[in-house]
Amino acid sequence: MTRQRRVAVTSPQTRVAFAARRGVSAVPRSLSGDELRAAARIRRRQLRVAAGTLAAAALLLVGLPVLLGVVPVALRLGPVPVVWVAVALLPYPVLAGLAHWQLRRAERTEDGAEQIGRDRQDHAR
Amino acid sequence: MTALAVVPVVLATLLIGARGVAALRSTSDFLVASRRVSPTLNAAAVSGEYLSAASFLGTAGLVVKNGVGALWYPVGFTAGYLLMLVLVAAPMRRTGALTVPDFAEARLGSPGLRRFSALVVLVIAGLYLVPQFTAAGQVLTLVSGTPHWVGIVVAGAAVSITLALGGMRAATYVQAFQFVLKLLLFIVPAIWLVVAAGADTRAEALRPAEYAAFPRPTQVTFRLDTRLQVREPVTVLADGVPARLEPGEHVAPGDATWVFPEGAAVPEIAGAALPGSATWQQPLLDGGNGHPLLATWSILVATALGTMGLPHVIVRFHTSPDGRAARRTAAITVGLLGSFYVFTVVYGLLGGVLVPELYLSGATDTAVVALPSRVDGGTTGDVFTALLTAGAFAAFLATSLGLLLALAGALAHDLLPGSLRRLRLTALLAAGVIVLLALPAVRIDVGAVVTSAFAVAASTFCPMLVLGIWWRGLTARGAFVGMAVGLASSAGVMALGLVARPDPGLVALLLGQPALFSVPLAFLTMVGVSRRDRPPPGAEPAMLRLHLDERT
Repeated sequence: MTRQRRVAVTSPQTRVAFAARRGVSAVPRSLSGDELRAAARIRRRQLRVAAGTLAAAALLLVGLPVLLGVVPVALRLGPVPVVWVAVALLPYPVLAGLAHWQLRRAERTEDGAEQIGRDRQDHAR
Repeated sequence: MTALAVVPVVLATLLIGARGVAALRSTSDFLVASRRVSPTLNAAAVSGEYLSAASFLGTAGLVVKNGVGALWYPVGFTAGYLLMLVLVAAPMRRTGALTVPDFAEARLGSPGLRRFSALVVLVIAGLYLVPQFTAAGQVLTLVSGTPHWVGIVVAGAAVSITLALGGMRAATYVQAFQFVLKLLLFIVPAIWLVVAAGADTRAEALRPAEYAAFPRPTQVTFRLDTRLQVREPVTVLADGVPARLEPGEHVAPGDATWVFPEGAAVPEIAGAALPGSATWQQPLLDGGNGHPLLATWSILVATALGTMGLPHVIVRFHTSPDGRAARRTAAITVGLLGSFYVFTVVYGLLGGVLVPELYLSGATDTAVVALPSRVDGGTTGDVFTALLTAGAFAAFLATSLGLLLALAGALAHDLLPGSLRRLRLTALLAAGVIVLLALPAVRIDVGAVVTSAFAVAASTFCPMLVLGIWWRGLTARGAFVGMAVGLASSAGVMALGLVARPDPGLVALLLGQPALFSVPLAFLTMVGVSRRDRPPPGAEPAMLRLHLDERT
């Protein structure tokens, strides 16, 4: 068994903190015209996807406080005030659900666009 | 004795630190580890980094002090990752930037903007760190009975020694383990508390009676000078000397111990709600300013939009191999954080009925740790106090070390470039400065001050990240002016509020929680100034590249 060189495994913070100041590699690999058009299309679609999730999140974060402002604390589900459940428990599954929804649609957008990009390349050939 | 519970936590951190990290591995292992970190593992690491003393102790303490509405804080903390997922996670990872100053330079090509961003990192990290140290100090004070400054100095020493021995935080899996540890140390005591509290206490917690009169002779040790509104004449034992208080305002000096007799009316404190009162039960944040809806929205805007700009969190996403994995990491983090925060309500509601006197002493941040001994005076209670203390200290250490590194990195790379060996010294000095700042900050609410760090992040980094990723028209000058306006209208306005001390009302609310106007103002300024400039050539491809899956 050969002896492998050993290195310290460190957190990203440590790597950043200890890294010499790198000139940020702002020189990306240049994109072809096709790729640029595909990226522009993806960005537009991702914006639409994001808008849907943001609207739902806003409904929760802006709308729910308004609703809780008018529902009386005395309204109870068994012994528990409904408004307390609405602030203490309800938001978390809703947020997790929104995260799942957003993730699925964002990934699908990327995959779909990829497919289109590949089809075009095939046509070009 | 329970103070010793922090010893294993500190020792474990030290051990990890002294070794550089828990494991030294081969190069190939290391490369595999850093490239194949699964989104789930990374999400646990992100959560481990994020759950600070403010989450562990602060929010439950705010519930005791301000009421059920304080439960909006953790909702905002969690929603922050949803917004991060929607707006920045994948594109940010694709820039290759590890920090926000990196991003500023990578996207807008301006070293000046990088330095200004580093300055903002200092402000945010400072605002985030001071309350962590204060909370750690308070908990140590509570469980060991030492003076407050001892707790803070011990906390500072623990962090400094870890830093000095090279304990620059462990790798992803250690951080993920930290999350599991904190989750267990939060959930298990919560379940035990609910069971052990008994049916009567449970029923009382759900139908709290106003803490109007002291049910038994009650000893209150005031953390700092406290203005009490005495409602009925009462004779208290002030440091052992009987003193008669007429109705009206009285100042209890800091560190004084007053014993209120059984049946006496509980004095009121401006800006806090009597536990169990109608205001306290309201599910919105009031804070005594009379605009609960605006106050709640302001907290939510700050926390939800500020998360993406926190210097110690963003760097964690770099462990993800690509943009897609970063996005998945953010999505899973939303679920993991939610599973932690749903238990905050247990501590808050039980605190409201079992330790309501903390409302008077101002030590509400110790509510979580104080609860077990109220439920069980025996060994079992001590054990759970020790577990919660250990969890709180783990939370404090994890977040503080990450933030100190971010702070030291910003100083050493962006502001005062110097030898790399100076970095550790910088981190140590920073820890010292934070301890000095935390010593007089005895009276602050951990959760509330941490929120001011979120407000600054939401007013500066959030607009730059969002516009930089989605709008080709952003220019360096626009980003600079927008962040400057955001910084002035968040940090500046909050400082003004501390100095001016306006009467309760709309003005006090907006000065104390400026996010509601400072965030839109920063966005508008950034867009307005950028529109007068011409974006640099190549801005459009630079932006579009961030939206393209890098695997194609």
